[in-house]
Amino acid sequence: MKITGTQELRAKRERVWQALIDPAVLQRSIPGCEQLEKSGENSYAATLRAGVGSIKGLFKGNVRLEDMRPPEHYRIVVDGKGQPGFLKGAGDLDLEENAGATIIKYAGDVQVGGTIAGVGQRMIEGAAKMMIAQFFTALEAEAQTEEGDPPPKHGFFRTALRWFSGWLHRVFRGRAQGS
Amino acid sequence: MIPAQFDYVAPATLDEALQLLADNADDAKLLAGGHSLIPAMKLRLAQPAMLIDIGRIKDLAYIREEGGQIRIGAMTTHYQLESSERLKEICPLLPETAGHIGDVQVRNKGTLGGSLAHSDPAADWPATIIALNAEIVATGRNGERVIRADDFFVDMLTTALEPGEILREIRIAVPQGRTGQAYTKVPHPASGFAVVGVAVNLSLDNTEVCQSASVGITGAAAKAYRARGVETALNGNRIDEALAQTAAAQAADGIDLNGDLYASADYRRHLVQGYTRRAILKAIAQAK
Repeated sequence: MKITGTQELRAKRERVWQALIDPAVLQRSIPGCEQLEKSGENSYAATLRAGVGSIKGLFKGNVRLEDMRPPEHYRIVVDGKGQPGFLKGAGDLDLEENAGATIIKYAGDVQVGGTIAGVGQRMIEGAAKMMIAQFFTALEAEAQTEEGDPPPKHGFFRTALRWFSGWLHRVFRGRAQGS
Repeated sequence: MIPAQFDYVAPATLDEALQLLADNADDAKLLAGGHSLIPAMKLRLAQPAMLIDIGRIKDLAYIREEGGQIRIGAMTTHYQLESSERLKEICPLLPETAGHIGDVQVRNKGTLGGSLAHSDPAADWPATIIALNAEIVATGRNGERVIRADDFFVDMLTTALEPGEILREIRIAVPQGRTGQAYTKVPHPASGFAVVGVAVNLSLDNTEVCQSASVGITGAAAKAYRARGVETALNGNRIDEALAQTAAAQAADGIDLNGDLYASADYRRHLVQGYTRRAILKAIAQAK
C-alpha cells in the first residue's frame, strides 16, 4: 500500500524537526504507542496498541531513522508484528519552510499481512489515513510548544483524566485536613 | 476461530447495562445482534474482556409511530425492518435498505442499532440514516441526548457515542406529501458489504419540482457522508435524466475516497457518480 500526502503544521521547521527525532515526543504523538525505547543509534523498539473502534491489536516492532539531513529530510523504516498480523514499510519525510509554518511531504510504501490484511483489507487504507491525521495533529501541538515547556495534552480523555485525578487529589487532601 | 476469553453478562434493564458499562469502561463491549463484533472476536481482532448482552432488555426492538416520527428501537433486526408492511407504505427506503444487507442469517440476527454503533464504513444503514435525516437517541447515566445523523458518524468505526452511552432509538420524521426514495448498491461479491451504496430521499411538489433532496453515500470513504453538491443541484428543479446526470457528477466532490484491492479510489468515484444517478432516477420514478 502506497501512502503519500502533504501536511502543513503551524510550527517552525526547527521545532518540527526536533519533535520528529525525539522518542518521547514520538511516543506521545503516535496513536496507541505505549513504548518507544532507544535500541541503538537512531533506532528504537516500539510497542503499539493500534486500531480503530473495537478492532485493536498489539504490535511490537522496530523503528529506524535513516538518511538524516536536519532539518529537512529523513527516511523512516518500520517493521512490526503482532497477533493480528504484521507490517513492514519505509517512507520519506521532507520538511519545507513556508512563512513560519512547516510543510511535511511524506511518501511511503507499507506491506500489511496476516489476519488483519486477510479480512480487514478494505479498511487498512482508511485506518492508516486516520492514524496519520491523528499523528500530525499531536505532532503539531508538540512542535508549537517552546523548548522546556511541559508537553501538551492530547485529546479530551487525557485532559479529563488529569482533571479528575487532580480533583480526587484535592478532595482527599481536603478530607485529610478536615479530619 | 475461537475468541479470546471474556466475561458475559446479560442485564435485564437499561439501567443495569449502563451501570455495567460505567464499571467496565475500558474493556467492555455491548453485544447487540453480534454479526460484526462476534466475527471480529473470533479472529481475535477484537478482544473485549467483557460482553454486555443487551438482547435480554425488554422493549428495545420496536417500530412505532409517535408525534409524526417513526421510532425504531435499537435492537430491531434488519429483517423486522425489511418485512414491515407499514414501513413499506410510509418509508420504503428503510425496508429496501434492509433487504440489501448481508444474507438471511445476518438480517435475522443483526440490528439497526448495532450496525450504526459499529459504524462500518461499508455498512448499508449509514447512507439511509443520513438520507432520512434521522436522529439517534443515546442514553447515558446522565440522561438522554439526541444526535443528528450528520453528526453521528465521526470516522471509520467511530461514532459520536460516548464510551458510557447506549444507542437506544432511531427517530425519523414520517415523510409527507409526494416522496420518492431509493437505495442503490454495488455489493462486494464475497462479503455483501457496500463497495458503494447510495440512498436518495426526495420530495416533490405538485408541479414536479424537487422541494427537498437528501442524499447519503456509504462504502466510498472512511465514513458515510451527505452529498451536499448533489442535493443543491436537485433542490428547486424539475429532475430529468440530464439533471440527474449533472447532479450525480458531484457525488464524490471534496471526498477523500477509499481504495482497496477490489476497488481503487478512481473506480469508486465512477461508481459513486453512476449509482447516485441511478438512485435519483429510481426515486423520481417512485414519486410519480
